Amino acid sequence: MPLTDSEIEEIRSILNREPTVEELAMFEAQWSEHCSYKSSRLLLKLLPTTGKHVIVGPGKDAPAVELFPGIAVVFKIESHNHPSAIDPYDGAATGIGGIVRDILTLGAKPIALLDLLYMGDPKDPHANWLIRGIVKGISDYGNRIGVPTVAGDTWFDYAFDIQPLVNVVCVGIAPIDRLVLRGPRANDYIVIIGNATGRDGLLGSSFASKPLSGEDEISAVQVGDPLMEKLLIDVIQILVDRKLVNYIKDLGGGGLTTAISETVADYNLGAEIYLDRLHTRQELTPLELLVSESQERMLLAVDPNNFPKVVEILENYDVMFSLIGRFDESGRIRAYFKGKLVADVPSKELARPRAIRRSSKPPTEALKGFTPVVDVPQIESIEKVIIAVLSSPNIASKKWIYEQYDYEVGARTVIKPGWGDAAVLRLLDGSGRGLAIKGDANPRYTFLDPFNGSANSVAECFRNLVAVGSKPIAIVDELNAGNPEKPEHFWYFEEMLKGIAWITEELALPVVGGKVSFYNEDMYGRQIKPTSTIVGVGKVDDVTATKTFDFKSSNSVIIVVGITYPELGGTEYLYRVHGLEVGEIPRPRPELEIRNAGFILAAIRRSLVSAVHDIGLGGLITTVIEMAIAGSTGFSIDVSKVLCRGCYRLDEILFSETQARYIVEVDRDKLEAFLSLANEYNVYASVVGHTSNKSTCIIRNGDKEVSVFELEFLKNIYEEALNKELE
Amino acid sequence: MVKVAIMKFPGTNCDEDVHHVLKNVIGLDSEIVWYKEYVTNRYDAVVVPGGFSYGDWLRAGAIAARNVVMERVAEDVSRGVPVLGICNGFQILVEAGMLPGALILNSSGRFVCRWIRLVVENARGPWLSLARDRIMLDMPIAHAEGRYYIDEETYRRIANVSSIIRYAQGWNPNGSLYDIAGIADEKGLVLGLMPHPERASEPELVPRGFSPGGRIIFDSLAYSLKKGW
Amino acid sequence: MVEVVITNKRTVRDPEGETIHKHLILRKGFNSVKNVRAGRYLLFAVESETPEKALEIVKEICEKLRIYNPVVHDIEVRLRG
Repeated sequence: MPLTDSEIEEIRSILNREPTVEELAMFEAQWSEHCSYKSSRLLLKLLPTTGKHVIVGPGKDAPAVELFPGIAVVFKIESHNHPSAIDPYDGAATGIGGIVRDILTLGAKPIALLDLLYMGDPKDPHANWLIRGIVKGISDYGNRIGVPTVAGDTWFDYAFDIQPLVNVVCVGIAPIDRLVLRGPRANDYIVIIGNATGRDGLLGSSFASKPLSGEDEISAVQVGDPLMEKLLIDVIQILVDRKLVNYIKDLGGGGLTTAISETVADYNLGAEIYLDRLHTRQELTPLELLVSESQERMLLAVDPNNFPKVVEILENYDVMFSLIGRFDESGRIRAYFKGKLVADVPSKELARPRAIRRSSKPPTEALKGFTPVVDVPQIESIEKVIIAVLSSPNIASKKWIYEQYDYEVGARTVIKPGWGDAAVLRLLDGSGRGLAIKGDANPRYTFLDPFNGSANSVAECFRNLVAVGSKPIAIVDELNAGNPEKPEHFWYFEEMLKGIAWITEELALPVVGGKVSFYNEDMYGRQIKPTSTIVGVGKVDDVTATKTFDFKSSNSVIIVVGITYPELGGTEYLYRVHGLEVGEIPRPRPELEIRNAGFILAAIRRSLVSAVHDIGLGGLITTVIEMAIAGSTGFSIDVSKVLCRGCYRLDEILFSETQARYIVEVDRDKLEAFLSLANEYNVYASVVGHTSNKSTCIIRNGDKEVSVFELEFLKNIYEEALNKELE
Repeated sequence: MVKVAIMKFPGTNCDEDVHHVLKNVIGLDSEIVWYKEYVTNRYDAVVVPGGFSYGDWLRAGAIAARNVVMERVAEDVSRGVPVLGICNGFQILVEAGMLPGALILNSSGRFVCRWIRLVVENARGPWLSLARDRIMLDMPIAHAEGRYYIDEETYRRIANVSSIIRYAQGWNPNGSLYDIAGIADEKGLVLGLMPHPERASEPELVPRGFSPGGRIIFDSLAYSLKKGW
Repeated sequence: MVEVVITNKRTVRDPEGETIHKHLILRKGFNSVKNVRAGRYLLFAVESETPEKALEIVKEICEKLRIYNPVVHDIEVRLRG
């Protein structure tokens, strides 16, 4: 967004004179929504961000949480929605590049990536093209840098046909005493390392701060270079190990301008930079040098005494660099080009524009989320319905996607994609310890009811971490919304944020970081379904004790933990089968989440369960079928045994997406102990069926057989659904 | 003291995994060697690990193969030093002419990451000394240019002599000719394979339905360095 | 026979070309090579009345089916021989 008149006036009064074009460009880049968060900063204060394990909270380059004594996990989320809409391959790829570099700024070692993709309907040719490009972009880049993409979330919805959401996450680990936490010192050299600067991505951040216009948007396109990224990862580990750098910053949105201004503002410093010393690909003007967003570049603050050693290492590893200036105590950023002073701005004012409290108003469409679901047609064929739900792209196997990602590199991935509710990685430090990581969102929920919808996304993430046997310790969030200048778009953002703020307090889960992506609308001003993506980390004491969700035995008992309500509003079933996106969505139930989670973790610790799967999209029947397919084991369940309050219909029991529930497989000889523990924890657990050594999946209602499927048939549908659309 | 070199090019990314297995699982001393720093006559064995050397630009392994360091490695081979190429390492060895054939784009046209089953034939040489003939091994693959190609004449010449690791019946993931997943030179000193043994050397990393089939390659090396082959 | 050559636009980075140039060509001493650009080559066998018509068909295919991304790529469509 170009600067408004009042913003320009403000710049004049800050400088006390007319700004130079370079200075204007610096303010435009820095004050863009993407970099400054002017529309969201005030409301973000609602989130609980502290906790006794939080080392670095929001506002810095990357959040860090103590995972185990002495060991920190560093994780961050970022969106690359707008570039991915016009160049899906490079947009997604450079998204990965950026998020990895953010983890490097703390000196942590990147060990995992997640891709959270909310894309269009694969039947739409344009959306189909975007989907392929995005997945290939993440695959090609992530694979080359040697960081495994271990988990993700995927959603296909017509609302994202033109503007997809590409949220990416990187996770790193480091010994706490190795984290680069302090800032640069006055007199430190400013060294830019990595790729040469070019004309690409000029004003990319301001591009991300306005809606897609359809015009030629080429200057916003950046192409990634994963080879240089890998070299940066390697070189930074070495420099940090040998304590040769005081401070590391990524050159991301806003380029050099943002990197320097945020640094000097955060640490009460100033900087003197000589733009013509920056290593470049082509001749650039000082303005271009200041705001170019060329990829794979980082800033190092190096004590002059260490500089020769740093140069030796950079040259040995073929990483280009340039010494462009120094930090000082002036409180101003002075930029020179070939001897001439082209910019002289006070750092604090540049970095922090006044935050704006936007107007917010619910649109009439919001009423959809307040309407109880009453008149759903009766289903004629339960078989057809189950097939429709199982083959929904939002539920079906995502193998087509994750087999394009190297999820094994690093030799840490214990629970791999397709096997568990979350990915589990071992620390590889000789202990059996590790972490679990997962990301979740439900655009349909947040579209119908942004407050409860985003609360449910937090709960879903929480349950997924618990289901594998990990203790959730912190989350980060990405809020993807429409145009903040339109009150009826901004309302969704505000409510989503409030929902997260509420439930994280209830669950005692600190939000250690997060991002906001606005202006996600197409050229007609239609916003995407507002989406809150939640990514959580759980700590794992023993990776060999974690649980996957495949049925392990053909002679065990199937149990529903939790209580079911007839909550069909906003469900996948309601949309896929009846074409409806309405209704009161399932209520968040934080108290039950805590109680049930405590029980599940205790049961796993005591080895009372063989498989655990959280109940989410598609309801409990989908959950059971997924466990059967993964374990190649048939089953028989009796829906009349499901503890349900107020359910009258079969579909209410099978497809309701009531929160705080799990399906658990328990060995017969452990059943008594399991139920007794459930009693102790005051948790509802209903025995609803058993696994079998036959190849059939049977659904009964009391003594009536409702439906029988061949397991092989269901497996085929589940595994082929996405291939059919994307192959 | 026995020392194994783990070669690292710009873009190599499985070096630390191999180092971990050799050190913590097998108990062999190894060192990750930046390609510029490799010297001949220092190492008892060389592993060229997986990754994307030079971004896989031009062709996978093509740029690394032309680097002078590969001439030094060839020199060491002529003095009897065993060399193992894993995935990108295999691609580099093939491009460098140290192993026959070529590796091209998977027949699916896409990168694929999954566990597969292998069968070893003519098991001999330092890398397979502990493997009995026709042993089945499980390991994961993760590659886009893994389709092995070799002309018929060369194949016939070496088929009964060289060790060959094939994808077991029904497990060929990429259209490799003759189901070849890995192949050794005629002396058995140089072995290359697309699947990743370092990812299959510890039970906790193995998914249900498979077993850690990679360990035997490193165990064989350790055994052979002590007892000969 | 219609040839299609797809390259990155001049203003867009070409890490493949740069890497081949720097780490292969220059390293082996061929300093006279000033630049290398990498691209993709496709060969279409088209049945048509005239060669010009064949060119048109392929151009249309490239646009409609997004054989190239006009945001980042340049494309050269030419007759073979």
